[in-house]
Amino acid sequence: MKKEMDDFHVQKENDSYWLMQMSKNDNNAFTVIFRKYYKDLVLFGGNYLANKEVCEDIVQNIFLKLWNNRKNLMIETSLKSFLLKSVQNACLDELRHKKIIRTHETYTQIFGNTDDIDTSNYILYSDLHEKLINSLEKLPEIYREVFEMNRFDGLKYKEIAQMLKVSERTVEVRIGKALALLRQFLKDYLVIFFLLNC
Amino acid sequence: MQEVEKIIIKSFSGEITREEKTLLSQWLNENTENETYYAQIKNIWQVASVNFNPEDINLEKAENLILRKIKEKPGSLQQKNRSLLIWWQRVAAIVVLPLILSLGYLLYHQNISGGNEIVYQEVISPAGTCSKVKLTDGTIVWLNSKSTLKYPTVFSAGKREVFLSGEAYFEVESDMKNPFIVKTKVMDIKATGTAFNVEAYDSDKITAVTLIEGKVKVNIKGKDDLNIVPNQRISYDNQVNTYSIETVNPYKWYAWKDGVLMFRDDPLEYVFKRIGLTYNIQIEVKDKELALHPYRATFEGESVDEIMRLIKMTAPIEYVTEERVLTRDDSFSKKKIEVYKVKQ
Repeated sequence: MKKEMDDFHVQKENDSYWLMQMSKNDNNAFTVIFRKYYKDLVLFGGNYLANKEVCEDIVQNIFLKLWNNRKNLMIETSLKSFLLKSVQNACLDELRHKKIIRTHETYTQIFGNTDDIDTSNYILYSDLHEKLINSLEKLPEIYREVFEMNRFDGLKYKEIAQMLKVSERTVEVRIGKALALLRQFLKDYLVIFFLLNC
Repeated sequence: MQEVEKIIIKSFSGEITREEKTLLSQWLNENTENETYYAQIKNIWQVASVNFNPEDINLEKAENLILRKIKEKPGSLQQKNRSLLIWWQRVAAIVVLPLILSLGYLLYHQNISGGNEIVYQEVISPAGTCSKVKLTDGTIVWLNSKSTLKYPTVFSAGKREVFLSGEAYFEVESDMKNPFIVKTKVMDIKATGTAFNVEAYDSDKITAVTLIEGKVKVNIKGKDDLNIVPNQRISYDNQVNTYSIETVNPYKWYAWKDGVLMFRDDPLEYVFKRIGLTYNIQIEVKDKELALHPYRATFEGESVDEIMRLIKMTAPIEYVTEERVLTRDDSFSKKKIEVYKVKQ
């Protein structure tokens, strides 16, 4: 655990180092930041918008703004949190911007809940996915099954209920349980990020 | 706790009800632990299954693109070009329309010099524009893109006759003694005091009338008169010579006059045709199945680029834009967009 904490400290230090370099017009510093976060930010945007290209456009624009404002950036949280928040805002704007979305039924499908996530403690796909897959192994079969059916196979709760011949409510409860357990397993890991970002 | 978990996962899948949503926000506001818990669970949920395959995100390509962009000065050329184009479109709309109007007026006056002969005036709404005309009897006509309305400078007693090619929305001034008649290639529409929309583009196989209020008689190729009532739309298929009358949401059919494009489960082919008409661009749907894909949306005041982007977000399409180029005769070619089904 100690070792991991140190790693994250370094990571965080690095970001501020690269930001400082970037403010001195260092192209390379910008590239380092871009490479580090680009993919994860596009994936994060995917939680709001179903179109990959639109997400890529949004993220590229955010990086463009980051560069254009390099001299007077005011980042109160971490760079990661700042970037995530920017992506989230841009995606929500994109969705709220037009009335079309309000009348369009895919709105709820893509968007689900309008609550915006607190990005300060968010863990990126690259940082969490592998650990999550490992933790899944530790779940009781009964919870793992429904979780994977929904998340990996894209089946709706209703469809899972039909396939397993249980009620929809049961499926919801099992997925809820799976999530609660996964959180338990990943808690330490999640907390490290939390502490570092405080 | 179990209840909350259930609501949480319903909120993730978007199946949450209004009441559950209220419960959830109450629970979230109780304390920061709840908030953190929710954020962590959502984090896990999202990371467990991402919408795009990470392998499909081309980092190198994006990097090259962005590095090229930051080398350009901010306030890039592209932006300027676009606003210039918009500016020119506006200038064209302001300058060209009155020009056509007065020219048409002059020509007709020169050609026809008889005493009792009817003198006609013609209004043309060029591609990509929309015009509003008030006739001498007080009737107001909105002319859609690529449409022509011919009408006498003074209506003769007994009937008010106008000729339409294209699409127009009429608000006819009430006058029982002098019925108002819209003549199109395949049908005549007879009204006294009403509001209705006529679609009669020569290039379309469908000619249609949508009645908003009042009463109209529709006469197709000299056959019997058909009466339609408000909220009905009669459409005639020129190819198979049949007509049908259906009850519709009338606003959808004349929303164009307010600059609104309204689609209600219309096939994408039709959607793109209307957009193409409104913005004077050519949009081709390259996939037959996609052409029939039903689409619902309302657009108001968006640029065509924006509309295309929004459709892409909400329908399985991809598109390629062919920008306007200077042709040999020093004019700009029409902007073309090709629409494909998204590959997945």
